[in-house]
Amino acid sequence: MTILTRSAYGEPGTSLDFKTGNWRSTEKPVHIHAKAPCHGACPAGEDQQAWFALLQEGRVEAAWRALVAANPLPGVTGRVCPHPCETACNRKALDGALAIHNVERWLGDEAVANGWAYPVEEPPADAPVVAIIGAGPAGVSAAYHALRHGMRARIFEAASEAGGLLRSAIPPTRLPRAALNAELDRVLSLPGIEVTCRARLGRDVSVEALAADHAAVLLAPGCQEGRDWDVGGSVPADHHEGLALLKEFMDHGQFPAAQRVIVHGGGNTAMDLCRLMKRFGVGEVTLVTASGLPGPDTATDDLINVVPRELEEALEEGIEIIPHATVNRLIMRGSKVVGAEVASLKKVPGTDGRKKRVTFEGTERVRDVDMVIPCIGEMVDPEGLHSWINRGYLRPSDHWGTLSDRIYALGDARGDRGTVAEAIGDGARAVAAVAARLNGGEATTDTRAELPASDLNPVYYPPAARSVAPKLPVSERTFEAEIEGDIGHEAALAEAARCLSCGNCLACDNCWTFCPDSAVIKTAELATDGSFYLFDLDYCKGCGLCAQECPTGYIQMRPE
Amino acid sequence: MREALEGSQAIARAVALCEPDVVAAYPITPQTHIVENLSELVAQGDLHTEFVSVESEFSAASVVLGAAATGARAYTATASQGTLLMAEVLFNIAGMRLPLVMTVANRAVSAPLSIWNDHADSMAVRDSGWIQLHATSNQEAVDTTIQAFRITQETELPVMVCMDGFILTHTMEPIDLPDRMAVRDWLPPMAFSRSLDPERPLSLGMLVSPDYFPEIRHSHHAAMQQALAVIEEVDTSFHSRFGRAAGGLLTVEGDPEAKVGILAMGSTVGTLRAGMAHYVEAGPARLITLRSFRPFPAEALREAVEGLDCLIVIDRAISPGLGGVLGTEVAAVLSQSARPPHILNHALGLGGRDIPETVYVDLLDAGRDPDAPRFSVFDADMTKLAPEDR
Repeated sequence: MTILTRSAYGEPGTSLDFKTGNWRSTEKPVHIHAKAPCHGACPAGEDQQAWFALLQEGRVEAAWRALVAANPLPGVTGRVCPHPCETACNRKALDGALAIHNVERWLGDEAVANGWAYPVEEPPADAPVVAIIGAGPAGVSAAYHALRHGMRARIFEAASEAGGLLRSAIPPTRLPRAALNAELDRVLSLPGIEVTCRARLGRDVSVEALAADHAAVLLAPGCQEGRDWDVGGSVPADHHEGLALLKEFMDHGQFPAAQRVIVHGGGNTAMDLCRLMKRFGVGEVTLVTASGLPGPDTATDDLINVVPRELEEALEEGIEIIPHATVNRLIMRGSKVVGAEVASLKKVPGTDGRKKRVTFEGTERVRDVDMVIPCIGEMVDPEGLHSWINRGYLRPSDHWGTLSDRIYALGDARGDRGTVAEAIGDGARAVAAVAARLNGGEATTDTRAELPASDLNPVYYPPAARSVAPKLPVSERTFEAEIEGDIGHEAALAEAARCLSCGNCLACDNCWTFCPDSAVIKTAELATDGSFYLFDLDYCKGCGLCAQECPTGYIQMRPE
Repeated sequence: MREALEGSQAIARAVALCEPDVVAAYPITPQTHIVENLSELVAQGDLHTEFVSVESEFSAASVVLGAAATGARAYTATASQGTLLMAEVLFNIAGMRLPLVMTVANRAVSAPLSIWNDHADSMAVRDSGWIQLHATSNQEAVDTTIQAFRITQETELPVMVCMDGFILTHTMEPIDLPDRMAVRDWLPPMAFSRSLDPERPLSLGMLVSPDYFPEIRHSHHAAMQQALAVIEEVDTSFHSRFGRAAGGLLTVEGDPEAKVGILAMGSTVGTLRAGMAHYVEAGPARLITLRSFRPFPAEALREAVEGLDCLIVIDRAISPGLGGVLGTEVAAVLSQSARPPHILNHALGLGGRDIPETVYVDLLDAGRDPDAPRFSVFDADMTKLAPEDR
């Protein structure tokens, strides 16, 4: 595009004759649309800044469409995701990170309530078909993204219903089944997606057979297989593994009778189990975890890996948490547990230079308990996958999930994942890799740099408090009722208005207002770089005022 | 999102948020941009008001006097010589106790001619009976302007919002303009208890015999005293509605343990604040910002200086033959305290002389000097004067 600036039509003999020439400072302003940190942190690949911008314009449906370009299940992730986007949010240093999950959830629910159509079309009948094992979040996401890439998807699910661990392991108090079903049904009924339930790998289908007549096979079976567990060789007769116990409870509404329980682990399964058991009437529920609780002395990589608000709610409900500790010994009467020795852990330098945790001698104490439940993670059920499994998991070689030619691994089964958002992102990534290969190319990632908080000019943002979702009081928490409520239309839009638009132009006119040389020109239509401004470098002196006063860091000074 | 606005532009937008019925003003540097921006808002259809073009400040003041008397929400703005040309009408407006808001873009008064900032203009009409509020920043000027419309309605006394010419009026600042609906909600519709009504004929500003004049002045003084509480209440209410206050009657900041205090009005405060943050080694000080110059908050001031050994009062005006205006008033008020601080009074920045951040250090140094004069034109360079004038 030829840019005609004032110097091109300036009348001779006017001051427009006096151009900056070669005496500009060593830098000139450029527009750089950096990656917002929320986007960089989102395992599902959402660009939160983009959909918040649409909400700020009041375009709610368009915002949802931008959101589901990455994540087809916002109503689900808005409820269950530990939201690393909020941890990364640049606003946290001002007056609190954006409550992105509240708005995401609200948008997801609005779409369901209003029946907004997913922005996908049915692929042609002869389009390539991908086979997907597992209708959990990874499989559903993969099927949805297949449509976005013009492919068809065929999902094989071993259970009688789709949903994977969203259904089997997340309590309805966190994810009501109505919300889950509504979103899943809307995605899975999109034309071009075919779901076969009760189709078990190794019995009804095989990876090799599917690979023979599909463009690709995407393995998203999740982790179903409990790990072996013992403490110093002893295993109680009534041993229950955490996830299995949780699944049983979801099916039958029963826990084994116990008065005092220790749950050993540090993830969401452990937390869900603690809270459900406490609500079920177990008198004392103690979580023993090797990780630390949030606080000034806890490093980020040492933090207990649960949704922060879940932790807060668990403490409200009276769950005792013993951080940096382990179950050292089971005290058995016959084959029944009657107590457990809990010991603190301390860090010592390991042989590989990294710190490792060892029992802190002398801190052992005995707790009288009826049950010790390990929640130490699960592995892939090897049935039908023997040739792909490597030490319990599928362990693909890359970010795209490549196991071998046309076979990909997604979600928990990879062995390096642990959240719904990661599973959803895996679905998108694997399908992008498949589509790129079919087109003879390679999939690409967003390699833009993230915008650091120091590049923002915070004075232009008036203070605004983070929204807080309503919560059921502890006394009213049951096994069914959702604990966290909806923030509603007004609060959602107010929350969206808090977005700082990191790295993206807000059309605030600051550059145009402040430029001492009128070298910022406003354009009537969107310029090629996505803003409404051009720099007239014939007159720009390189003073950097525009970059300084740009609230979002979209203008950066770069060497000539 | 805050907007980068020039002070004058921000004031025009703030006035427009208050939806005045009548605006009349005559342009004068450095107030011109306020009126220009207002007329632009009217031309663009963003402000529906009776915008009366007048031929002088005398007329401008007279038009808004008449408008206010009919119960209309009225606004004008002026500076310097314009204020003096208005002076007679300003006394009338206050004497008739009409609700009105006026911005004074403070500027020195001729001769010699100076277009730059000091407080000589608003000080010249100090005794007219108007409420005078001083803003230290453009955000405060915006918020004070909106508050002024409510104060004038509640007190039925005219309110002058003083902001330093050029230093504030012509400077860009990120401004948070409140939402129009929120202002409409917070600012009650205009109501004036004695508004002119053909059904109930009334004479205003009539000849009054000596039998009543002292009582009228007494009640005016009493009304000004009562306005102190209103100014505070309105600021509190504004704070709870919009999340920020504009300075109440006065504010106190800095080190509460400090034995030296500095008191100032207007944009000088910003300079002193920056100096205090920058030159920590100069020592701690308590910084007192006087927002309400009229009515004068004697009680609040006595509290604010408690524990101080020395108080340095900055005047941006001079009363030749006496010294500082503000300094003299502060000394008079504090003379009633049990243990008044030693008061030093300095005029600074007259006729737009730049006040650098280092003034903070120089003022504290002068405060420590036992031989320092009780009053000085602090930044006057004696070498520029003939020996007999020094």
